[in-house]
Amino acid sequence: MVHNLQFALQSAWRVLLAGLLLGAGLPALFALGVRALAWGAGGDAEVREPGAAGAKAQPIGTLLGWACIAVVLLGVALGITYIVASGLGKALSFEHIFPAIVDKK
Amino acid sequence: MTETTVVLVLVIVTALGFDFTNGFHDTANAMATSIATKALRPRVAVLLSGLLNLVGAFLSVEVALTVTNAVVKIQNANGTPKAELLEGGGSALLLIVLAGLVGGIVWNLLTWLLGLPSSSSHALFGGLAGATIAGLGWAGVNWNGNGTKLDGLVGKVLLPAVMSPVIAAVVAGVGTWLIYKVTIGVVQRFTDNGFRWGQIGSASLVSLAHGTNDAQKTMGVITLALIATGDWTDTTNIPIWVKTACALSIALGTYLGGWRIIRTLGKGLVEIAPPQGLAAESASAAVILVSSHLGFALSTTHVATGSILGSGLGRPGAIVRWPVAGRMVLAWLITLPSAAVVGAIMWWIGHAIGGLAGAIVIFLILLALAAYMYWHSRKSPVDHNNVNDEWGTTPELAEAVR
Repeated sequence: MVHNLQFALQSAWRVLLAGLLLGAGLPALFALGVRALAWGAGGDAEVREPGAAGAKAQPIGTLLGWACIAVVLLGVALGITYIVASGLGKALSFEHIFPAIVDKK
Repeated sequence: MTETTVVLVLVIVTALGFDFTNGFHDTANAMATSIATKALRPRVAVLLSGLLNLVGAFLSVEVALTVTNAVVKIQNANGTPKAELLEGGGSALLLIVLAGLVGGIVWNLLTWLLGLPSSSSHALFGGLAGATIAGLGWAGVNWNGNGTKLDGLVGKVLLPAVMSPVIAAVVAGVGTWLIYKVTIGVVQRFTDNGFRWGQIGSASLVSLAHGTNDAQKTMGVITLALIATGDWTDTTNIPIWVKTACALSIALGTYLGGWRIIRTLGKGLVEIAPPQGLAAESASAAVILVSSHLGFALSTTHVATGSILGSGLGRPGAIVRWPVAGRMVLAWLITLPSAAVVGAIMWWIGHAIGGLAGAIVIFLILLALAAYMYWHSRKSPVDHNNVNDEWGTTPELAEAVR
Protein backbone atom coordinates (compact mmCIF):
# COMPACT_ATOMS: atom_id res chain seq x y z
CA MET A 1 0.00 0.00 0.00
CA VAL A 2 2.74 2.43 1.01
CA HIS A 3 4.87 1.35 -1.95
CA ASN A 4 1.97 1.81 -4.29
CA LEU A 5 1.26 5.27 -2.91
CA GLN A 6 4.87 6.29 -3.53
CA PHE A 7 4.88 4.89 -7.06
CA ALA A 8 1.56 6.54 -7.81
CA LEU A 9 2.70 9.94 -6.52
CA GLN A 10 5.89 9.70 -8.56
CA SER A 11 3.92 8.95 -11.73
CA ALA A 12 1.24 11.51 -10.94
CA TRP A 13 3.80 14.25 -10.61
CA ARG A 14 5.29 13.49 -14.01
CA VAL A 15 1.87 13.20 -15.62
CA LEU A 16 0.98 16.60 -14.19
CA LEU A 17 4.13 18.29 -15.53
CA ALA A 18 3.94 16.75 -18.99
CA GLY A 19 0.19 17.29 -19.00
CA LEU A 20 0.61 20.99 -18.25
CA LEU A 21 3.22 21.37 -20.96
CA LEU A 22 1.21 19.58 -23.65
CA GLY A 23 -2.37 19.85 -22.42
CA ALA A 24 -2.31 23.50 -21.35
CA GLY A 25 0.74 24.80 -23.25
CA LEU A 26 -0.36 23.71 -26.71
CA PRO A 27 -3.89 25.14 -26.41
CA ALA A 28 -2.41 28.39 -25.08
CA LEU A 29 -0.14 28.48 -28.12
CA PHE A 30 -3.17 27.80 -30.29
CA ALA A 31 -4.90 30.75 -28.62
CA LEU A 32 -1.85 32.87 -29.33
CA GLY A 33 -2.11 31.79 -32.95
CA VAL A 34 -5.77 32.79 -33.09
CA ARG A 35 -4.91 36.14 -31.54
CA ALA A 36 -2.14 36.76 -34.07
CA LEU A 37 -4.53 35.84 -36.87
CA ALA A 38 -7.03 38.37 -35.54
CA TRP A 39 -4.32 41.01 -35.43
CA GLY A 40 -3.36 40.01 -38.95
CA ALA A 41 -6.91 40.22 -40.21
CA GLY A 42 -7.58 43.58 -38.61
CA GLY A 43 -10.98 45.21 -39.16
CA ASP A 44 -13.76 43.47 -37.29
CA ALA A 45 -11.64 40.72 -35.76
CA GLU A 46 -10.53 42.77 -32.77
CA VAL A 47 -12.59 44.57 -30.14
CA ARG A 48 -12.55 48.36 -30.62
CA GLU A 49 -14.21 51.48 -29.28
CA PRO A 50 -17.64 52.15 -30.79
CA GLY A 51 -17.18 54.39 -33.81
CA ALA A 52 -13.44 53.88 -34.03
CA ALA A 53 -12.05 52.64 -37.32
CA GLY A 54 -10.98 48.98 -37.52
CA ALA A 55 -7.27 48.25 -37.28
CA LYS A 56 -5.30 47.85 -40.48
CA ALA A 57 -4.59 44.31 -41.65
CA GLN A 58 -1.12 43.10 -40.61
CA PRO A 59 0.25 40.36 -42.89
CA ILE A 60 2.96 39.57 -40.33
CA GLY A 61 0.23 38.69 -37.83
CA THR A 62 -1.27 36.19 -40.22
CA LEU A 63 2.16 34.64 -40.69
CA LEU A 64 2.83 34.45 -36.94
CA GLY A 65 -0.62 33.02 -36.36
CA TRP A 66 -0.14 30.17 -38.79
CA ALA A 67 3.33 29.52 -37.37
CA CYS A 68 1.84 29.01 -33.89
CA ILE A 69 -0.87 26.74 -35.26
CA ALA A 70 1.75 24.75 -37.18
CA VAL A 71 3.61 24.05 -33.92
CA VAL A 72 0.36 22.89 -32.33
CA LEU A 73 -0.30 20.60 -35.31
CA LEU A 74 3.17 19.13 -34.87
CA GLY A 75 2.29 18.36 -31.25
CA VAL A 76 -0.92 16.64 -32.37
CA ALA A 77 1.02 14.67 -35.00
CA LEU A 78 3.33 13.53 -32.21
CA GLY A 79 0.33 12.37 -30.21
CA ILE A 80 -1.06 10.37 -33.15
CA THR A 81 2.37 8.86 -33.81
CA TYR A 82 2.50 7.77 -30.19
CA ILE A 83 -0.90 6.08 -30.34
CA VAL A 84 -0.10 4.30 -33.60
CA ALA A 85 3.40 3.29 -32.53
CA SER A 86 2.33 1.83 -29.19
CA GLY A 87 -0.56 0.03 -30.90
CA LEU A 88 1.92 -1.65 -33.22
CA GLY A 89 4.16 -2.68 -30.34
CA LYS A 90 6.66 0.12 -30.82
CA ALA A 91 7.50 2.94 -28.45
CA LEU A 92 8.18 6.61 -28.91
CA SER A 93 11.59 7.51 -27.56
CA PHE A 94 12.72 10.99 -26.54
CA GLU A 95 16.21 9.79 -25.71
CA HIS A 96 17.81 12.04 -28.30
CA ILE A 97 15.32 14.86 -27.68
CA PHE A 98 13.91 14.42 -31.15
CA PRO A 99 11.15 11.78 -31.03
CA ALA A 100 12.02 8.50 -32.66
CA ILE A 101 10.09 5.25 -33.03
CA VAL A 102 11.93 2.35 -31.43
CA ASP A 103 11.14 -1.22 -30.45
CA LYS A 104 9.53 -1.63 -27.09
CA LYS A 105 11.94 -2.61 -24.35
CA MET B 1 -21.32 -29.10 -29.04
CA THR B 2 -20.32 -29.68 -25.43
CA GLU B 3 -21.65 -27.82 -22.43
CA THR B 4 -18.42 -25.86 -22.09
CA THR B 5 -18.67 -24.67 -25.66
CA VAL B 6 -22.11 -23.24 -24.99
CA VAL B 7 -20.80 -21.46 -21.88
CA LEU B 8 -17.87 -20.16 -23.93
CA VAL B 9 -20.28 -18.73 -26.49
CA LEU B 10 -22.21 -17.03 -23.68
CA VAL B 11 -18.97 -15.53 -22.33
CA ILE B 12 -18.03 -14.19 -25.77
CA VAL B 13 -21.47 -12.71 -26.39
CA THR B 14 -21.46 -11.11 -22.93
CA ALA B 15 -17.93 -9.75 -23.43
CA LEU B 16 -18.96 -8.17 -26.72
CA GLY B 17 -22.00 -6.78 -24.97
CA PHE B 18 -19.74 -5.21 -22.37
CA ASP B 19 -17.58 -3.74 -25.12
CA PHE B 20 -20.70 -2.23 -26.65
CA THR B 21 -21.74 -0.57 -23.36
CA ASN B 22 -18.13 0.56 -22.97
CA GLY B 23 -18.49 2.34 -26.30
CA PHE B 24 -21.71 4.22 -25.71
CA HIS B 25 -20.87 4.96 -22.10
CA ASP B 26 -17.69 6.74 -23.18
CA THR B 27 -18.80 8.63 -26.29
CA ALA B 28 -19.31 11.58 -23.97
CA ASN B 29 -15.66 11.64 -22.88
CA ALA B 30 -14.54 12.69 -26.30
CA MET B 31 -17.56 14.33 -27.84
CA ALA B 32 -19.69 15.95 -25.11
CA THR B 33 -17.89 19.29 -25.33
CA SER B 34 -17.90 19.43 -29.13
CA ILE B 35 -21.62 18.69 -29.15
CA ALA B 36 -22.36 21.26 -26.43
CA THR B 37 -20.48 24.07 -28.19
CA LYS B 38 -22.00 23.05 -31.54
CA ALA B 39 -18.55 22.56 -33.04
CA LEU B 40 -20.02 19.37 -34.46
CA ARG B 41 -23.61 18.36 -35.04
CA PRO B 42 -24.55 15.53 -32.64
CA ARG B 43 -24.89 12.83 -35.30
CA VAL B 44 -21.64 13.84 -36.99
CA ALA B 45 -19.82 13.83 -33.64
CA VAL B 46 -20.84 10.28 -32.74
CA LEU B 47 -20.06 9.06 -36.26
CA LEU B 48 -16.57 10.59 -36.12
CA SER B 49 -15.95 9.22 -32.65
CA GLY B 50 -17.21 5.76 -33.66
CA LEU B 51 -14.95 5.63 -36.72
CA LEU B 52 -11.90 6.73 -34.72
CA ASN B 53 -12.66 4.12 -32.05
CA LEU B 54 -12.81 1.51 -34.83
CA VAL B 55 -9.45 2.62 -36.20
CA GLY B 56 -8.00 2.78 -32.70
CA ALA B 57 -9.21 -0.72 -31.85
CA PHE B 58 -7.57 -2.16 -34.94
CA LEU B 59 -4.35 -0.41 -34.01
CA SER B 60 -4.07 -2.50 -30.85
CA VAL B 61 -1.88 -5.11 -32.46
CA GLU B 62 0.00 -5.80 -29.28
CA VAL B 63 -2.78 -6.75 -26.91
CA ALA B 64 -2.01 -7.39 -23.30
CA LEU B 65 -3.42 -10.83 -22.59
CA THR B 66 -2.69 -10.19 -18.95
CA VAL B 67 -5.32 -7.48 -18.65
CA THR B 68 -6.97 -9.15 -15.63
CA ASN B 69 -3.67 -9.62 -13.78
CA ALA B 70 -3.74 -6.08 -12.46
CA VAL B 71 -6.71 -6.91 -10.25
CA VAL B 72 -7.31 -10.66 -9.94
CA LYS B 73 -5.22 -13.77 -9.81
CA ILE B 74 -6.82 -15.99 -12.41
CA GLN B 75 -3.95 -15.86 -14.91
CA ASN B 76 -0.27 -16.72 -14.86
CA ALA B 77 2.30 -14.08 -15.74
CA ASN B 78 2.43 -15.26 -19.35
CA GLY B 79 -1.31 -14.87 -19.86
CA THR B 80 -2.36 -18.52 -19.55
CA PRO B 81 -5.10 -19.27 -17.03
CA LYS B 82 -4.14 -20.72 -13.64
CA ALA B 83 -4.03 -24.51 -13.88
CA GLU B 84 -6.39 -25.11 -10.95
CA LEU B 85 -9.15 -23.20 -12.77
CA LEU B 86 -8.95 -25.43 -15.82
CA GLU B 87 -10.57 -28.56 -14.41
CA GLY B 88 -13.69 -29.55 -16.29
CA GLY B 89 -12.67 -27.81 -19.50
CA GLY B 90 -12.08 -24.43 -17.87
CA SER B 91 -15.63 -24.05 -16.61
CA ALA B 92 -14.50 -22.57 -13.27
CA LEU B 93 -12.69 -19.76 -15.04
CA LEU B 94 -15.51 -19.22 -17.51
CA LEU B 95 -18.02 -18.78 -14.70
CA ILE B 96 -15.84 -16.16 -12.97
CA VAL B 97 -15.36 -14.24 -16.20
CA LEU B 98 -19.04 -14.47 -17.15
CA ALA B 99 -20.24 -13.32 -13.71
CA GLY B 100 -17.69 -10.49 -13.73
CA LEU B 101 -18.78 -9.27 -17.15
CA VAL B 102 -22.43 -9.34 -16.12
CA GLY B 103 -21.52 -7.21 -13.08
CA GLY B 104 -19.76 -4.70 -15.34
CA ILE B 105 -22.61 -4.45 -17.84
CA VAL B 106 -25.34 -4.10 -15.22
CA TRP B 107 -23.51 -1.25 -13.52
CA ASN B 108 -22.72 0.46 -16.83
CA LEU B 109 -26.38 0.35 -17.82
CA LEU B 110 -27.60 1.62 -14.47
CA THR B 111 -25.26 4.63 -14.47
CA TRP B 112 -26.20 5.31 -18.09
CA LEU B 113 -29.87 5.29 -17.08
CA LEU B 114 -29.05 7.91 -14.45
CA GLY B 115 -26.94 9.88 -16.93
CA LEU B 116 -23.81 9.53 -14.81
CA PRO B 117 -20.39 9.20 -16.43
CA SER B 118 -18.86 6.35 -14.42
CA SER B 119 -15.76 4.47 -15.48
CA SER B 120 -16.25 1.42 -17.69
CA SER B 121 -12.89 -0.01 -16.67
CA HIS B 122 -13.87 0.27 -13.00
CA ALA B 123 -17.10 -1.55 -13.80
CA LEU B 124 -15.19 -4.34 -15.56
CA PHE B 125 -12.49 -4.66 -12.91
CA GLY B 126 -15.07 -4.41 -10.13
CA GLY B 127 -17.19 -7.14 -11.66
CA LEU B 128 -14.19 -9.42 -12.14
CA ALA B 129 -12.91 -8.75 -8.62
CA GLY B 130 -16.34 -9.52 -7.12
CA ALA B 131 -16.74 -12.74 -9.06
CA THR B 132 -13.21 -13.76 -8.10
CA ILE B 133 -13.79 -13.07 -4.39
CA ALA B 134 -16.95 -15.16 -4.57
CA GLY B 135 -15.18 -17.95 -6.43
CA LEU B 136 -11.70 -18.00 -4.91
CA GLY B 137 -11.96 -15.97 -1.73
CA TRP B 138 -10.29 -12.68 -0.75
CA ALA B 139 -6.84 -14.00 -1.62
CA GLY B 140 -7.91 -14.28 -5.27
CA VAL B 141 -7.70 -10.53 -5.63
CA ASN B 142 -4.39 -8.86 -6.39
CA TRP B 143 -4.72 -6.03 -3.86
CA ASN B 144 -1.31 -4.42 -3.85
CA GLY B 145 1.01 -6.27 -6.21
CA ASN B 146 4.40 -7.30 -4.87
CA GLY B 147 5.70 -3.87 -3.93
CA THR B 148 8.20 -3.51 -6.76
CA LYS B 149 6.02 -1.46 -9.06
CA LEU B 150 2.63 0.19 -9.28
CA ASP B 151 0.34 -2.83 -9.29
CA GLY B 152 -2.78 -4.44 -7.92
CA LEU B 153 -6.28 -3.16 -7.38
CA VAL B 154 -4.95 -0.32 -5.21
CA GLY B 155 -2.07 0.70 -7.45
CA LYS B 156 -3.61 0.19 -10.89
CA VAL B 157 -7.18 1.19 -10.19
CA LEU B 158 -7.88 3.01 -6.94
CA LEU B 159 -4.97 5.45 -6.62
CA PRO B 160 -5.04 6.56 -10.27
CA ALA B 161 -8.79 7.02 -9.94
CA VAL B 162 -8.28 9.51 -7.12
CA MET B 163 -5.38 11.32 -8.74
CA SER B 164 -6.23 11.47 -12.44
CA PRO B 165 -9.32 13.71 -12.24
CA VAL B 166 -7.39 16.17 -10.08
CA ILE B 167 -4.48 16.25 -12.52
CA ALA B 168 -6.82 16.66 -15.48
CA ALA B 169 -8.73 19.43 -13.71
CA VAL B 170 -5.53 21.36 -12.96
CA VAL B 171 -4.28 21.04 -16.54
CA ALA B 172 -7.62 22.05 -18.06
CA GLY B 173 -8.03 24.88 -15.55
CA VAL B 174 -4.63 26.35 -16.35
CA GLY B 175 -5.27 25.88 -20.09
CA THR B 176 -8.64 27.64 -19.91
CA TRP B 177 -7.24 30.51 -17.89
CA LEU B 178 -4.34 31.00 -20.35
CA ILE B 179 -6.62 30.86 -23.39
CA TYR B 180 -8.94 33.53 -22.00
CA LYS B 181 -5.96 35.72 -21.01
CA VAL B 182 -4.34 35.41 -24.41
CA THR B 183 -7.44 36.21 -26.42
CA ILE B 184 -8.61 39.29 -24.54
CA GLY B 185 -9.40 41.93 -27.13
CA VAL B 186 -10.27 39.54 -29.91
CA VAL B 187 -13.89 39.46 -31.04
CA GLN B 188 -15.68 36.37 -29.78
CA ARG B 189 -17.01 35.33 -33.18
CA PHE B 190 -13.43 35.17 -34.43
CA THR B 191 -12.05 33.16 -31.52
CA ASP B 192 -15.00 30.77 -31.40
CA ASN B 193 -14.46 29.78 -35.02
CA GLY B 194 -10.80 29.02 -34.41
CA PHE B 195 -11.42 27.17 -31.17
CA ARG B 196 -14.12 24.97 -32.66
CA TRP B 197 -11.53 23.56 -35.05
CA GLY B 198 -9.08 23.02 -32.21
CA GLN B 199 -11.81 21.26 -30.29
CA ILE B 200 -12.62 18.85 -33.11
CA GLY B 201 -8.94 17.97 -33.43
CA SER B 202 -8.35 17.34 -29.75
CA ALA B 203 -11.64 15.42 -29.34
CA SER B 204 -10.64 13.18 -32.23
CA LEU B 205 -7.38 12.42 -30.47
CA VAL B 206 -9.28 11.38 -27.34
CA SER B 207 -11.53 9.08 -29.41
CA LEU B 208 -8.56 7.40 -31.06
CA ALA B 209 -6.79 6.87 -27.75
CA HIS B 210 -10.01 5.46 -26.29
CA GLY B 211 -10.28 2.89 -29.08
CA THR B 212 -6.75 1.63 -28.52
CA ASN B 213 -7.07 1.53 -24.73
CA ASP B 214 -10.52 0.16 -24.04
CA ALA B 215 -11.23 -2.24 -26.89
CA GLN B 216 -8.22 -4.34 -26.03
CA LYS B 217 -9.45 -5.06 -22.52
CA THR B 218 -12.34 -7.04 -23.96
CA MET B 219 -10.06 -8.64 -26.54
CA GLY B 220 -7.88 -9.87 -23.69
CA VAL B 221 -10.83 -11.23 -21.72
CA ILE B 222 -12.27 -13.16 -24.70
CA THR B 223 -8.89 -14.61 -25.58
CA LEU B 224 -8.42 -15.68 -21.96
CA ALA B 225 -11.71 -17.58 -22.15
CA LEU B 226 -10.66 -19.21 -25.43
CA ILE B 227 -7.37 -20.34 -23.90
CA ALA B 228 -9.18 -21.72 -20.85
CA THR B 229 -11.30 -24.02 -23.02
CA GLY B 230 -8.35 -25.01 -25.17
CA ASP B 231 -9.71 -23.33 -28.30
CA TRP B 232 -6.67 -21.08 -28.59
CA THR B 233 -3.10 -21.67 -27.41
CA ASP B 234 -1.03 -18.75 -28.67
CA THR B 235 -0.33 -16.35 -25.79
CA THR B 236 1.38 -13.72 -27.93
CA ASN B 237 -1.42 -13.13 -30.44
CA ILE B 238 -5.16 -12.93 -30.41
CA PRO B 239 -7.50 -14.41 -33.03
CA ILE B 240 -8.30 -11.95 -35.78
CA TRP B 241 -12.04 -12.52 -35.45
CA VAL B 242 -11.84 -11.52 -31.78
CA LYS B 243 -10.16 -8.28 -32.70
CA THR B 244 -12.66 -7.56 -35.48
CA ALA B 245 -15.67 -8.36 -33.31
CA CYS B 246 -14.41 -6.19 -30.42
CA ALA B 247 -13.51 -3.29 -32.70
CA LEU B 248 -16.91 -3.36 -34.36
CA SER B 249 -18.79 -3.64 -31.12
CA ILE B 250 -17.04 -0.73 -29.36
CA ALA B 251 -17.38 1.40 -32.51
CA LEU B 252 -21.06 0.57 -32.86
CA GLY B 253 -21.63 1.39 -29.20
CA THR B 254 -19.84 4.70 -29.60
CA TYR B 255 -21.86 5.53 -32.69
CA LEU B 256 -25.12 4.76 -30.91
CA GLY B 257 -24.03 7.41 -28.41
CA GLY B 258 -24.83 7.48 -24.72
CA TRP B 259 -26.89 10.65 -25.12
CA ARG B 260 -27.88 10.78 -21.46
CA ILE B 261 -24.24 10.92 -20.40
CA ILE B 262 -23.29 13.30 -23.22
CA ARG B 263 -25.97 15.65 -21.93
CA THR B 264 -24.70 15.52 -18.35
CA LEU B 265 -21.07 16.11 -19.32
CA GLY B 266 -21.74 18.66 -22.06
CA LYS B 267 -24.54 20.70 -20.53
CA GLY B 268 -24.96 19.63 -16.92
CA LEU B 269 -21.58 19.99 -15.29
CA VAL B 270 -20.32 23.26 -16.76
CA GLU B 271 -21.74 25.69 -19.33
CA ILE B 272 -19.05 25.16 -21.94
CA ALA B 273 -17.86 27.78 -24.44
CA PRO B 274 -15.55 26.83 -27.34
CA PRO B 275 -12.32 27.98 -25.61
CA GLN B 276 -13.19 25.82 -22.60
CA GLY B 277 -14.01 22.90 -24.86
CA LEU B 278 -10.61 23.17 -26.50
CA ALA B 279 -8.84 23.35 -23.14
CA ALA B 280 -10.80 20.42 -21.73
CA GLU B 281 -10.24 18.08 -24.67
CA SER B 282 -6.56 19.01 -25.00
CA ALA B 283 -6.06 18.35 -21.30
CA SER B 284 -7.83 14.99 -21.60
CA ALA B 285 -5.80 13.95 -24.63
CA ALA B 286 -2.51 15.02 -23.06
CA VAL B 287 -3.16 13.39 -19.68
CA ILE B 288 -4.40 10.12 -21.23
CA LEU B 289 -1.46 9.83 -23.62
CA VAL B 290 1.20 10.83 -21.11
CA SER B 291 -0.14 8.44 -18.46
CA SER B 292 -0.32 5.48 -20.80
CA HIS B 293 3.24 6.33 -21.83
CA LEU B 294 4.29 6.13 -18.17
CA GLY B 295 2.23 3.02 -17.45
CA PHE B 296 -0.05 4.91 -15.09
CA ALA B 297 -3.35 3.18 -15.82
CA LEU B 298 -6.35 5.45 -15.65
CA SER B 299 -9.93 5.78 -16.65
CA THR B 300 -10.76 7.94 -19.67
CA THR B 301 -14.00 8.88 -17.95
CA HIS B 302 -12.34 10.25 -14.84
CA VAL B 303 -9.90 12.28 -16.90
CA ALA B 304 -12.57 13.70 -19.20
CA THR B 305 -14.82 14.67 -16.30
CA GLY B 306 -11.93 16.23 -14.39
CA SER B 307 -10.96 18.21 -17.48
CA ILE B 308 -14.44 19.57 -18.05
CA LEU B 309 -14.71 20.55 -14.39
CA GLY B 310 -11.29 22.23 -14.65
CA SER B 311 -12.39 24.20 -17.70
CA GLY B 312 -15.20 25.60 -15.55
CA LEU B 313 -12.86 26.48 -12.70
CA GLY B 314 -10.32 28.19 -14.99
CA ARG B 315 -12.80 30.63 -16.46
CA PRO B 316 -13.75 33.39 -14.06
CA GLY B 317 -17.51 33.60 -13.71
CA ALA B 318 -18.23 30.24 -15.37
CA ILE B 319 -21.19 28.23 -14.13
CA VAL B 320 -20.16 24.99 -12.42
CA ARG B 321 -23.00 22.85 -11.07
CA TRP B 322 -21.54 21.34 -7.93
CA PRO B 323 -24.50 19.10 -7.12
CA VAL B 324 -23.97 17.36 -10.47
CA ALA B 325 -20.25 17.07 -9.79
CA GLY B 326 -20.96 15.64 -6.36
CA ARG B 327 -23.23 12.96 -7.75
CA MET B 328 -20.59 12.02 -10.27
CA VAL B 329 -17.94 11.62 -7.61
CA LEU B 330 -20.36 9.50 -5.61
CA ALA B 331 -20.94 7.32 -8.69
CA TRP B 332 -17.18 6.89 -9.09
CA LEU B 333 -16.76 5.85 -5.48
CA ILE B 334 -19.42 3.18 -5.63
CA THR B 335 -18.79 1.87 -9.16
CA LEU B 336 -16.10 -0.62 -8.22
CA PRO B 337 -17.78 -2.09 -5.11
CA SER B 338 -21.22 -2.11 -6.73
CA ALA B 339 -20.05 -3.92 -9.85
CA ALA B 340 -18.18 -6.28 -7.51
CA VAL B 341 -21.34 -7.05 -5.55
CA VAL B 342 -23.29 -7.78 -8.75
CA GLY B 343 -20.40 -9.92 -10.03
CA ALA B 344 -20.27 -11.88 -6.76
CA ILE B 345 -24.04 -12.46 -6.63
CA MET B 346 -24.02 -13.65 -10.23
CA TRP B 347 -21.21 -16.08 -9.44
CA TRP B 348 -23.09 -17.48 -6.45
CA ILE B 349 -26.26 -17.94 -8.48
CA GLY B 350 -24.35 -19.53 -11.33
CA HIS B 351 -22.40 -21.76 -8.97
CA ALA B 352 -25.40 -22.83 -6.93
CA ILE B 353 -27.28 -23.96 -10.03
CA GLY B 354 -24.08 -25.23 -11.57
CA GLY B 355 -22.86 -26.11 -15.03
CA LEU B 356 -24.51 -24.97 -18.21
CA ALA B 357 -27.82 -24.23 -16.53
CA GLY B 358 -26.09 -21.84 -14.09
CA ALA B 359 -24.41 -19.92 -16.89
CA ILE B 360 -27.64 -19.70 -18.85
CA VAL B 361 -29.56 -18.44 -15.82
CA ILE B 362 -27.16 -15.56 -15.12
CA PHE B 363 -27.15 -14.70 -18.82
CA LEU B 364 -30.94 -14.53 -18.73
CA ILE B 365 -30.82 -12.38 -15.59
CA LEU B 366 -28.53 -10.00 -17.49
CA LEU B 367 -30.94 -9.85 -20.42
CA ALA B 368 -33.89 -9.21 -18.11
CA LEU B 369 -32.11 -6.41 -16.22
CA ALA B 370 -30.89 -4.83 -19.47
CA ALA B 371 -34.38 -4.94 -20.96
CA TYR B 372 -35.86 -3.43 -17.81
CA MET B 373 -33.38 -0.54 -17.79
CA TYR B 374 -33.89 0.09 -21.50
CA TRP B 375 -37.65 0.16 -20.98
CA HIS B 376 -37.19 2.56 -18.06
CA SER B 377 -35.01 4.86 -20.20
CA ARG B 378 -37.78 5.21 -22.78
CA LYS B 379 -39.89 7.07 -20.23
CA SER B 380 -37.56 10.06 -20.47
CA PRO B 381 -35.61 9.56 -23.69
CA VAL B 382 -32.53 11.65 -24.42
CA ASP B 383 -31.28 11.57 -28.00
CA HIS B 384 -29.55 13.71 -30.60
CA ASN B 385 -32.61 15.99 -30.80
CA ASN B 386 -32.76 17.13 -27.18
CA VAL B 387 -29.20 16.49 -26.00
CA ASN B 388 -28.38 20.20 -26.13
CA ASP B 389 -31.56 21.56 -24.56
CA GLU B 390 -31.12 24.18 -21.86
CA TRP B 391 -30.13 22.46 -18.60
CA GLY B 392 -32.86 22.41 -15.97
CA THR B 393 -35.88 23.00 -18.22
CA THR B 394 -36.95 19.41 -17.59
CA PRO B 395 -36.24 17.42 -14.43
CA GLU B 396 -32.64 16.35 -14.84
CA LEU B 397 -31.61 12.76 -14.31
CA ALA B 398 -28.18 13.60 -13.04
CA GLU B 399 -29.58 15.89 -10.36
CA ALA B 400 -32.52 14.04 -8.86
CA VAL B 401 -32.92 10.45 -7.79
CA ARG B 402 -36.04 8.96 -9.26
